[in-house]
Amino acid sequence: MLLASTYNEFIKITAKPRSYLGLAAITILVGVILFALKVDGLSMISFVTTSFEQTLTFQGNLLNGNLVAFIILQMLIIHIPLLVALVTGDLVSGEAASGAIRILLTKPISRTQVLLSKFIAGGVYTLCMIIWLGLMSVLIGRVLFGQGDLMVLNSDGLVILKENDISWRYLGGFAVAYLALLTVSTLSICLSCFTENSIGPIVTTMAIIILFTIIGTLDVRFFDQIRPYLFTTHMAAWRSYFEVPLPTAQIIKSILILLGHQVVLISIAIFKFNTKDITS
Amino acid sequence: MILSAIRFLLLLFFLPFCTLAQDASTLVAKLSAKMNMVKDYSVQVRIQSQIPLINIFPVNATVYYKQVDKFRIIAKGIAILPKQGFTDLAQLLSKKERYSAILTKTEQVNDVPLQVVNLLPTDETGDLILVKLWIDSTTDLIIKSQTTTRSSGTITANYQYGKQQAIGLPDVLVYTLDVKKFKIPKGLATDINRTNISTKVQPKTGKIILTFTNYQINKGIDDKIFKN
Repeated sequence: MLLASTYNEFIKITAKPRSYLGLAAITILVGVILFALKVDGLSMISFVTTSFEQTLTFQGNLLNGNLVAFIILQMLIIHIPLLVALVTGDLVSGEAASGAIRILLTKPISRTQVLLSKFIAGGVYTLCMIIWLGLMSVLIGRVLFGQGDLMVLNSDGLVILKENDISWRYLGGFAVAYLALLTVSTLSICLSCFTENSIGPIVTTMAIIILFTIIGTLDVRFFDQIRPYLFTTHMAAWRSYFEVPLPTAQIIKSILILLGHQVVLISIAIFKFNTKDITS
Repeated sequence: MILSAIRFLLLLFFLPFCTLAQDASTLVAKLSAKMNMVKDYSVQVRIQSQIPLINIFPVNATVYYKQVDKFRIIAKGIAILPKQGFTDLAQLLSKKERYSAILTKTEQVNDVPLQVVNLLPTDETGDLILVKLWIDSTTDLIIKSQTTTRSSGTITANYQYGKQQAIGLPDVLVYTLDVKKFKIPKGLATDINRTNISTKVQPKTGKIILTFTNYQINKGIDDKIFKN
């Protein structure tokens, strides 16, 4: 029954025009970034390498498909939560507003299963988004710019990774990025249980992400205690896959915190949805 | 009589400088002659970089050189090299009028007496400020060089010779670089998931070790190789 309900929820997602907005936005954004990098990518790289190039020269193809994919991922991973919340934030409240939820709950399926099927469908939609982003950035980036070693800039300096050491890092990175987006999806569905209009959960999700991101970046000692537990702190954990040595403990911690958020948010949503008085 | 005595004293006073100047020119001329024996070469090189703020695995590459200033390195991936590298010294030594050579002292390095020669570029407005060479006069080999430029600071190179000692090509070249100016652009490198910021003090110098194998000398290299 859960599977059938999930399939039903996914069909509903695919029937909404706004579901394609995210995919279209990713396609256009990636296209614009690829064009910009093709036209003026080397000057963008020199902005990073300028201080090193007073003493050193970098030989080889710096602007390759792997770097292009990394730049795209870094730029877009901040915006994709909005595209995810645009669809998932509407899954419960949209139906509550239209009254469809009442009819849905007359079916021989528990409220928990109905809600879980929405979470799963939202997760599948999020997976489609991240796979599309991966295809657009890694595959098209490699086709247009070729293969090569990856030069990554992080707060400890430049890391240059061998070409044959990159694909598994992208797989791991995308998996963690998916977990982060899944947390956003879970948050928006959870918020969706509390309202009866579509805009509220979408805007609130984005407001929470912005607030937590600001708390995460503000260098205030008061926030040091809570910063490690904010899910936004771990939304950039995918970057850890591009460090040497691989910070395994840090990655596992990020995964556990993201999963923890999901469990808590799903529990709150189930409690609220089960006790909710659906009158319209 | 008095005039003769003065002339003799003046001669005694200036003689060491004349000898030193002559020695410096002779030493550099011998080096230059040795370098001129190599019209072109290709060589396999393994590049190991130990540079603060840069984490890179060793890279294998092929170096192509053709007199006087044709140089190309072809690496499969990304390789890091010093800006002042292989061709600068050869270019400077290729024309006598480009520099003035002064023998400054003799230094004992690993029980080997080395002649320290300063090369002062005649072009005072150029990037190159000073080249200091430590020369083993018994073998006419550069054991160490120090290049100071306006743009890159000071770069020291230590040479180790093997099979190609007779023509002055090293087997191992260790560059020591001044990395004080290296900075990470903060706006681009912020990791919001990084809660433990490294406070480690970075060393002020870095090293690039080049290990050469399989020299192919004076076998002719097509000019096409030097075109990107």
